[in-house]
Amino acid sequence: MSTSRRRSASEAARPSTRCSTSPTTRGRAPHQCGPTLRSSGVPAVFQRPGDALRCHHAATQVERLVERVQCSTLLEDRRDACRALKALSKQNRVEVGAQGMDALCQVLDLDRADSEIVAYALDALCNVMSPDTFDEEEHPTAYQGSKSSLGEQFTEIFMKQPDNIGLVLGFLEEYEFQVRWPALKLLTSLIHNRPRDLQEIILVSPMGVSKLMDLLGDNREVIRNDALILLTHLTKGNANIQKIVAFENAFDRLFDVIADEGYADGGIVAEDCLVIVHNLLKNNTSNQNFFKEGSYIQRLSPMFALPSNTEEIGWSSQKVTNILSSLQVVRMLVMPGNPAQVTSSCQRTIRNSGILEALCGILMASGVPVEVLTETINAVAEVIRGNPSNQEYFLTVMAPCKPPRPALVVLLLSMVNEKQPLELRCSVLYCFQCYLYKNEVGQAQLVQTLLPSSAEVGTGTTGHLLVSGLLSGHMLSTWLSAVALSHALVENPAQKEQLLRVALATAPGANPVSLLHQCCTMLEQSNKVQSKVGILMLLAMWLSHCPLAVRELLSTPSSIPYLTAQVGASEHQEHEELLQGLCAFLIGICVTFNDDSVPSYTRENLCQLISKRVGQDMFLDKLGEVSKHELYSKAHKHPQLQASSQEQLLLDHEFCKLFKALEGMVIKAVTPKEAGMHNGGTELTLTATESSLLLQYKELIRSQDYQLQEMHQKLQQYESERQAYQAHVEELNATISQLRDQTRLLSAAANTGVTNSLSSDIEHLSIAPQEDTIRSAEVETELDRLRKDQEDLLVLLADQDAKLNTYKDRLRQYGEKVESDEETDIQNGGEC
Amino acid sequence: MSYAYLFKYIIIGDTGVGKSCLLLQFTDKRFQPVHDLTIGVEFGARMITIDGKQIKLQIWDTAGQEAFRSITRSYYRGAAGALLVYDITRRETFNHLTTWLEDARQHSNSNMVIMLIGNKSDLESRREVKKEEGEAFAHEHGLIFMETSAKTAANVEEAFINTAKEIYEKIQEGVFDINNEANGIKVGPQHSPTNPSLSPNGQDRGQGGGCC
Ligand SMILES: Nc1nc2c(ncn2[C@@H]2O[C@H](COP(=O)(O)OP(=O)(O)O)[C@@H](O)[C@H]2O)c(=O)[nH]1
Ligand SMILES: [Mg+2]
Repeated sequence: MSTSRRRSASEAARPSTRCSTSPTTRGRAPHQCGPTLRSSGVPAVFQRPGDALRCHHAATQVERLVERVQCSTLLEDRRDACRALKALSKQNRVEVGAQGMDALCQVLDLDRADSEIVAYALDALCNVMSPDTFDEEEHPTAYQGSKSSLGEQFTEIFMKQPDNIGLVLGFLEEYEFQVRWPALKLLTSLIHNRPRDLQEIILVSPMGVSKLMDLLGDNREVIRNDALILLTHLTKGNANIQKIVAFENAFDRLFDVIADEGYADGGIVAEDCLVIVHNLLKNNTSNQNFFKEGSYIQRLSPMFALPSNTEEIGWSSQKVTNILSSLQVVRMLVMPGNPAQVTSSCQRTIRNSGILEALCGILMASGVPVEVLTETINAVAEVIRGNPSNQEYFLTVMAPCKPPRPALVVLLLSMVNEKQPLELRCSVLYCFQCYLYKNEVGQAQLVQTLLPSSAEVGTGTTGHLLVSGLLSGHMLSTWLSAVALSHALVENPAQKEQLLRVALATAPGANPVSLLHQCCTMLEQSNKVQSKVGILMLLAMWLSHCPLAVRELLSTPSSIPYLTAQVGASEHQEHEELLQGLCAFLIGICVTFNDDSVPSYTRENLCQLISKRVGQDMFLDKLGEVSKHELYSKAHKHPQLQASSQEQLLLDHEFCKLFKALEGMVIKAVTPKEAGMHNGGTELTLTATESSLLLQYKELIRSQDYQLQEMHQKLQQYESERQAYQAHVEELNATISQLRDQTRLLSAAANTGVTNSLSSDIEHLSIAPQEDTIRSAEVETELDRLRKDQEDLLVLLADQDAKLNTYKDRLRQYGEKVESDEETDIQNGGEC
Repeated sequence: MSYAYLFKYIIIGDTGVGKSCLLLQFTDKRFQPVHDLTIGVEFGARMITIDGKQIKLQIWDTAGQEAFRSITRSYYRGAAGALLVYDITRRETFNHLTTWLEDARQHSNSNMVIMLIGNKSDLESRREVKKEEGEAFAHEHGLIFMETSAKTAANVEEAFINTAKEIYEKIQEGVFDINNEANGIKVGPQHSPTNPSLSPNGQDRGQGGGCC
């Protein structure tokens, strides 16, 4: 249905091109172009029974106007017709678009000198291709069945002629408002309807992007603002356009506008500017570098300056949007996926320019809307992530409450508070993770607050908050706290051992139990998937590369029976496969990092247990379930949790990294040891230092792998270069043999030439013997000349030979064998 | 860091002549024998000192392939300086200079300073273009000339800095309209023009053909 409609629309537009193909047809008798435009040009599907008459009337009316625009010799007449078409272009959009498109484009081309008619044509085209529906439109629902709108379909037809875009871009240089403005609006409609195509066309039209950028200097606000809107679309997802726009001083101009508009208090224009800045930086390292080097980060800082009376004046929704956009810009510069060098230098600048401080101010301010708060926490997270000095600073931020408390503590309080919104709690976890990322000091400090020797022990410390969250019995709090705590242990063997010393007083008078023991108990007693997953991930992180922790777990009587039972059980609960996989992984870690110090659960014993209770294959199957889980790959890819609902909070990024790193080792450890596996035994009884050494080696291997890949690419490049040289050599060979042939031909010609002239000379001699001395002298010079020619050619040949040899040498440098018969060939060539 | 002036450069020339290596050598002081082919345009920056003044150079390294030519053209207009690079071991890159120069002259502002660079001077044994030829070409077309090696860093600093000196001198002479950013020059934030030769009522201001 939709295709036939589209075809009929374009067919209707096409016939009229006959008139517009050549300007000379202009002025010919109307019937030459008239008959092709029948009312049949209006798709029949648009004609509802009751409308048929009126529709027909409109169609003939448009038809007549189009004819006048195309064929009238008088500019005034064409202008009037064009004005009338414009007037009809909303109400009779279908007819004007279907029948008039070519005529209107023709005006843009042939009548471009007359701004009035151009303005009408542009206006009419704007209406025809508008992404919106007009109130007065006669068939607003005509295209409802089609998947693309009327505006889109006409846009497609219009853009089939890329020259049309060039014409419209040209009108941007026209200063007159009535031309420049509709040209700009038309482009905006076009980009709205076909963004990718228009981007590509503008990119290759001479100075296309620059012409648009010039509009930002227009002192008529309407034009400037509409240019900004166009740029928000133009800069989306096209790196080349983004770079040109940045080169054309976009950041300066945008920040000037933002400042004029009053920064965060600015209106929608400020928002547009921020969206463009964001687009320009997204996935564009070159522009990120430029942004940083051009000191534009500093120009962002006023965005985050909250006036002291913010609480009284409140937050308008525009202000919320503006701040959110600015936060997005900040995050663009320090996203975990960016090149490390960009991220770290931007982090430094964001701190030095006072933005980090301002963001922390927003964190601690009251009355901040929750979406702003959440996004600010996320931004702070990425600004401090893996940056020791920013992390250190973050630790010193204090919340302005009665006894001042560290901001970190206040944030964690929100994380374990069941009343807080999910997004906020997740962002706090992310922030905490980023705080601990590559931060051994921070990790140690956190664990320290839990140790008995610590003076700081007690309520209100970070460690205490997390442990009480863990034990709270609320599954989300448990999960969040378990994950947060596990990040204190990432790649930190020392803290894994320190955390073993933590003991809890569960009931007054009762003996304190170790935290690890308590985790096992909770795991066995809880019936909530989320809590269990959280605790299993914490335990896996804790026990990996830490034989002491493994020993502690193995000495907890019921834990191994529980875990093996879980792997084998089938209780058909939610996410059962994931849970079983995690249990299998934990058992695997107990095998892998076992120092055989618990007699009943040596590696040997554990492996037997797996075979007997679960079965080897079953165990490996279950283990595989972890990475098969729907949330695994997403969590593995990005450090930030992206959960739209609580149910999606299951797997943590660092855990997934751990799983990926250890899965192979675990499989190897639990698989029966056949021939050659006895030396594997030593590998499996690793001490903490040994296993960290192992980790280092793995890192080494990974980097070597990477190098190998790089080398491979290099090799491919060389190979293609070599092929190019080969081709070149072949080309030269061909030239040489051609030259050789020519030389032979020439020398042959020289020989016969000489004999001919000689024989005729003999005849002459008999007739005129007195001339013979003169003649022979002539022949002599002729011969000399030919000889010289031949010599020149030989020199040329030698030259070519030398070149050939150079290329051969070069080829040999690239390791290519060069055939020797070429050399004999060349010698032959030299002789002839 | 604050600067007295900011100059925008572009680097142009055939693909493989060493444009990206020159930029890397200048900004990072290192040579990376194999790296990605430049796609479109890459950015680099560095601060230099001329006449006791801090000058920030912002450099756009372009892709030489024909496919990117129309994109590259967008960068001529806003650049104060261009490094036009050929490879002394590949004559065809020298032969293409005329095309590059025509393109540059057609699309840039007339005051753009162009530095001609014969790169890979370390590969003397494979030289195909004599230094004299480069000099002659530069002389004929009014360019500054230098042979460089991005590999050994020979003359790399000089190439970028001498271009800046030339631009700087043009500013002193009042040839450049420094208030028109389209010339690829920016005056530093704390350095509003106090230099008498740059006073706004001097009759040597550029025509500033802005549209509005
Ligand atoms: N020996 C030598 N090789 C160079 C020099 N500059 C660049 N190269 C090499 O030439 C090749 C192309 O360099 P590249 O910078 O990518 O060229 P671009 O396409 O102009 O950016 C690379 O393999 C470089 O290692 C130089 O000064 N000396
Ligand atoms: Mg390059």
